[in-house]
Amino acid sequence: MKKALSVVLAGLMGLSLVACGPSANEVASQSAEETTAAATEAADAAEGGEEAAAAEESDGPIRVCIVYSGNLGDKSYNDSCNAGALQAVEDFGIELKSLEGTTAQEWEANLVAACEEGYDLIIGASSNNADHIQKYAPDYPDIKFAVIDTTVDLPNVESISFAQNQGSFLAGAAAAMFTTKTDIDGVNADKVIGWVGGMDVPVLHDFYTGYEQGAKYIDPDITILQAFAGSWNDPLKGKELTLAQYEQGADIVMNVASGTGPGILEAAKESGLYAIGVDLNQDNDQPGSVLTSMVKRVDNACYLVIQSVVEGTFEGGSTQYLTLADGGVSLTDFSVMREYLGDKFPEDIVEKCDELAQQIIDGEIVVENYEGFGPNA
Amino acid sequence: MDVFESLGKIFNVSLIYATFRASTPIIYAALCAAVTQQANILNVGTEGIMLVGAFTAVAVSFLTGSWILGVLAAMCGGAVIATIMAIGHIKYNSEICAIGMGINLFAIAITKFLLQVIFNTSGSFSDPGIDPIPTVHFAFLENIPVLNGLLNDWAFTEWFVIVFIIILQFLFYKTVWGLRLRAVGQFPMAAQTAGINVNAIKYQAILISGLVGGLAGAHLSLGYSTQFVENMTNNRGFMGVAAMYFGGANPALTAVGCLLFGFSDSVGARLQAYGFPAQFVLMMPYLVTIVVLAVSMAIKVAASKKKESSLITG
Repeated sequence: MKKALSVVLAGLMGLSLVACGPSANEVASQSAEETTAAATEAADAAEGGEEAAAAEESDGPIRVCIVYSGNLGDKSYNDSCNAGALQAVEDFGIELKSLEGTTAQEWEANLVAACEEGYDLIIGASSNNADHIQKYAPDYPDIKFAVIDTTVDLPNVESISFAQNQGSFLAGAAAAMFTTKTDIDGVNADKVIGWVGGMDVPVLHDFYTGYEQGAKYIDPDITILQAFAGSWNDPLKGKELTLAQYEQGADIVMNVASGTGPGILEAAKESGLYAIGVDLNQDNDQPGSVLTSMVKRVDNACYLVIQSVVEGTFEGGSTQYLTLADGGVSLTDFSVMREYLGDKFPEDIVEKCDELAQQIIDGEIVVENYEGFGPNA
Repeated sequence: MDVFESLGKIFNVSLIYATFRASTPIIYAALCAAVTQQANILNVGTEGIMLVGAFTAVAVSFLTGSWILGVLAAMCGGAVIATIMAIGHIKYNSEICAIGMGINLFAIAITKFLLQVIFNTSGSFSDPGIDPIPTVHFAFLENIPVLNGLLNDWAFTEWFVIVFIIILQFLFYKTVWGLRLRAVGQFPMAAQTAGINVNAIKYQAILISGLVGGLAGAHLSLGYSTQFVENMTNNRGFMGVAAMYFGGANPALTAVGCLLFGFSDSVGARLQAYGFPAQFVLMMPYLVTIVVLAVSMAIKVAASKKKESSLITG
């Protein structure tokens, strides 16, 4: 009994330690800060720019903190966001801090820590951070908040989200066409395609809604297998789910799973089958196994919001919705796959996708949204 | 789609290998915990030992280009971490749970740190330069339809785990060392009286456990996949500890417990594709953990009660 109690206590202690996480992440952002210092000097040297003037108002560079729901190094969503932030460091000489964390407790603790540190701008990198921003932003009215990938309606929060349903529509259409190309190695006769997500959050359902609609637009009889790993950083789970879908007849699986995604792409490579990348251009992560990637310009979103603070155009309570037409989402140019498949590469998929993209932009095809998403959400 | 056709797609031959594939990392973890459990030391640090092993395996395999060196280094890495735990627990008498949790947290931090220092990257590391554990291919099976899919192209460590279970079973129950180990675990005073150096046996148990845990990590990062990701063990170490309890630290029974986890995981992966709520399916391995532990504990309690009553009447 005593032993059991001590196990529980030790477990609690462990949790509480994890919850005090942010200090562990300092290493990560240190290098970023160093670049910041260099960039600040560069900006000072340049002088005259509006951004420099704005920065001087608050005695020093603008301080930005990004709270991630997951770790950097996912070669996907988070890395894309970080790329935008680093670009902003270079262009505007801001001071940047990145707080990573893998559990909801850490995300909340990181956000509170960021609020207490008095940053000028705090960015919640994903929809996982929205609830916490909703909870704490009213307590810190002087801090500017931004949230990417979802909407938080508060006077000091700017929201930027994406029409991932439109990009996923194209990905779904591409997958539905690809699964019929039985002359390509590994592609079977079954009209089955797969989809593996990270955590079961609403934004992923917006992805799936578009993916399903796109696939069914090409072939109403197609079967789509769906699975969630329940984590943003368990590639082994992602791999297992993907292999399961391959064994159930899928020959192409879309990855929508951040840090869980590398496992999905690895499963494609090992099985000699195919995947679709997400967020960043992942075509080269497992070259020859990734048909295309649904690129979501999280880097642009992050950069834009920092720019708005630097230039003083930050507008709390506003929402930006980046669509296919704005270049917020898109498919890659299939070039890596074209190289690998050579003559067998199905050019008609690319042509059809371009055509569909144009139809979506022109409003001829209306891609459905998951509840709570879309331009007016 | 027809119900039977769907069931056929969920429960088919590939499920057997999928179960084994998902179980293997947990089996290694459980064996890591079983070695110390025989000496009555609860190895809470399994998770941390595995994580260090996983990192070391990838790092050494990448730097030397040899998976064998990677695996050996991972085992050494696991042993080093285990030694820290052993010294803390045996020499300085610290509570094993506290130091075990400490090891787990330390492992997450040190691997994250080294990932930055050595590979200058954060989050994950994958590179074609990492030499994975090879798969075993039997040419003679190629023409046998079912067995080919079932038994071919397993990772070397997936076959080895079967051998390893037998080795440990033999070691625990058929050798002098095993007898001493169990004596230390069950009644250290008696063992001491019999002239066994209790502390030496405990050190040996933890050290061997470290070697096994390192191997578990190496399988995770070089066999099951070919990459290192921060905190990639994702509680597989703890599931191993739970399975070890289920099997009462008996390697074969422990492995059965692990297969149960692997099975629930693999069935879950297939069920999700047919619209079962992800939240429920993802809960299954943990639900199974609780049920399995409850059942095994109930059996144990019943058995010990029976023993007591027979002592009194006898």
